[in-house]
Amino acid sequence: MQTPNMLAWICATAAPLAMVHSGGLKKLPGWLSGVFSATWLRRLRHKKPPSLDELFSEPPADVVGPSGRIDHGGDAQSLVEEMLTHSRYALLLRPQLIGNLTNDQLVRARTALSEGMCLVPGGDVLVRRTTGSGDADAEPHGHEDVSVRVDGYFLDRYPVTNAQYYQFVRHGGYEQMAIWDPEVWPAVLDFVDQTGHAGPRFWRRGRYQRGEDRHPVVGVSWYEASAYARWAGKRLPTDAEWVKSGSWPVALPGHPLLQRRYPWGEAVDRSRANLWGSGPGRTVAVEEFPSGVSVGGVQQLIGNVWEWTADRLVLDDEANDHSAPPRQKLKSLRGGAFDTYLDNQATCHFQSGDDMLARKHNIGFRLAISLCDLPLPDASDDLSSEETREPSLEETHA
Amino acid sequence: MNRGVAVELDSFRLANYATQVPCLICDQGNTLDAEVCRNCYAPMVLAHQAQSRHAPPLMFAALGPSGVGKTVYLGMLLDMLSRQPKELQLSARGGFSVTLQQTTLAALSRCEFPSKTPSEPDRWNWVHCQLRSPRQKQPVELVMPDIAGEALFEEIDHPRSYQVIHSLLGRCHGVMILIDGTKLQSGSLDEDYFGMKLLSHLSELGDDPKTSWGTRPVALIFSKADQCEMCFEDPTAYAQRHAPGLWRVCQQRFRKHKFFAAGVAGACATRNVRGGGRQSLPLRIEPRGIVEPFEWLAQTLVR
Repeated sequence: MQTPNMLAWICATAAPLAMVHSGGLKKLPGWLSGVFSATWLRRLRHKKPPSLDELFSEPPADVVGPSGRIDHGGDAQSLVEEMLTHSRYALLLRPQLIGNLTNDQLVRARTALSEGMCLVPGGDVLVRRTTGSGDADAEPHGHEDVSVRVDGYFLDRYPVTNAQYYQFVRHGGYEQMAIWDPEVWPAVLDFVDQTGHAGPRFWRRGRYQRGEDRHPVVGVSWYEASAYARWAGKRLPTDAEWVKSGSWPVALPGHPLLQRRYPWGEAVDRSRANLWGSGPGRTVAVEEFPSGVSVGGVQQLIGNVWEWTADRLVLDDEANDHSAPPRQKLKSLRGGAFDTYLDNQATCHFQSGDDMLARKHNIGFRLAISLCDLPLPDASDDLSSEETREPSLEETHA
Repeated sequence: MNRGVAVELDSFRLANYATQVPCLICDQGNTLDAEVCRNCYAPMVLAHQAQSRHAPPLMFAALGPSGVGKTVYLGMLLDMLSRQPKELQLSARGGFSVTLQQTTLAALSRCEFPSKTPSEPDRWNWVHCQLRSPRQKQPVELVMPDIAGEALFEEIDHPRSYQVIHSLLGRCHGVMILIDGTKLQSGSLDEDYFGMKLLSHLSELGDDPKTSWGTRPVALIFSKADQCEMCFEDPTAYAQRHAPGLWRVCQQRFRKHKFFAAGVAGACATRNVRGGGRQSLPLRIEPRGIVEPFEWLAQTLVR
């Protein structure tokens, strides 16, 4: 069965071809019309109305045929090469596509995976959640630790950089509506940079600032992070996965889980992270502060930028009332940023949040992929202590 | 307490007791052991500490309506300048001067805002500290109270109802006026009116044109700017667009004024409180634009 990510990818890339074959917008389903209307509207915004010919000659239609083989204008290999260049190796390693790779490409894709991501074994992790006091006189923001079991997964070694995100922007990521959550389609046109081009808020003319190619991308909403994740064949990590990567729990028999407060240990050490007073007061390249590495090899979990996760931030009064619909569209943020002032807010356990549409100067993201989504028999057999399961539609989309 | 022993008559102490100690804020005489001024309720410890210095201390005040964020702003400012390596540094004179930053930061680290400042002057947090900068050889004494917004507007509406505010505004060397940037953005006119009221009140204080408020520095700060980031881009343009009345009064009556934007929380959320009502919570602490207004005031005054 094809995963939703795969479907999204197929939908996004097959759209122009489908339009040519169907003979116009009238016969297209709603979502496909959305792809084209978004393209149209974006171009109108830039005062460059496209001709129909121009519209049909969008980037080549890369489709996956019924056999699961890639048809890329007869040049599947160049598409694979391009995807490897753009850090979309996770997509190539999906069971549905892995058969298209030559041995050399398979090795390169797996090398890219092991260089770009860290393996975190499955197991239990304590995640701090707000308690349902809701009383202004009592301790209002009380916390309790909830034990959550996670399956094995890979997590990006570094936050997603400007250079990586640029590939997404350049290859029409903001115009492929199929990789965006439908509820955000009206807002996608407003996801522009300082000069009105599609892209992160603080870029100019569709480009990041010179010298910041290795800086984490910031000024992206949760939806943009999510769309990039689908394009790259990954997903946003859950809260529990993020915490597990940093706190690296150890379960000793007869003892509560031993978890680190910081990736490097228990004590605050601002020299290991780009926080208020320890850095230049802005983002730095993702390779800096290497001493803040986690046990599993994940860098910059603490400091530099807050990171979006897939989960919602549930306030204590909402936590009490499970039946009520969510009042505020807040998504969870983890890790602290270069301007995080308080020590207790730059830990593995602290949870903050922001509006899903917020595009802030200090919020970026990193991505994950479940072990069960990749056919890596050696790794999954040895390291996934839990029974692997298919991710739900919601999880995969998140 | 009389323990049944003869206490030696200490003439020096008696003489001191007979001499009136003037309150630092209102100048009214008080006895040596008075804790607060009998006239304005300002703490007398300020007067005692100031006596040890030859020059009278600088006085700054943070003014604004209730809930605008004066306590958070002052607490954060004091913490940043006393604990972080900055060019300007503040060091507390007396333990009571640390209370404001301690209570503010304790609340913020629990992801709460500090509780409302009571209207009674003897329950305000007063700060007496020394300001050090690379330009000054000697530290400058500085007094800053955390005035309750309700008391301030009571004094504006009914002059001399709060003697301490009347006296303080007469003596202050500069003020930081806080205006809620989010309310302005939402189209509320209240903040504009509050600002106009406050500035009009200040401009009517004092008769001498050389020392009147027209010549003293006024920093106008859009608070909660983290929730309306437009403020940060160009605070003056923001004032012109969203608070035209306030902007006009500044242009006409205050020679030294400047607009700033400041924010302490990176994001806020609201939640229901048991018993009804809503409460705002800071989701994380990321101070922006906190030091700049104070730095400008200090540079304008300390030359």
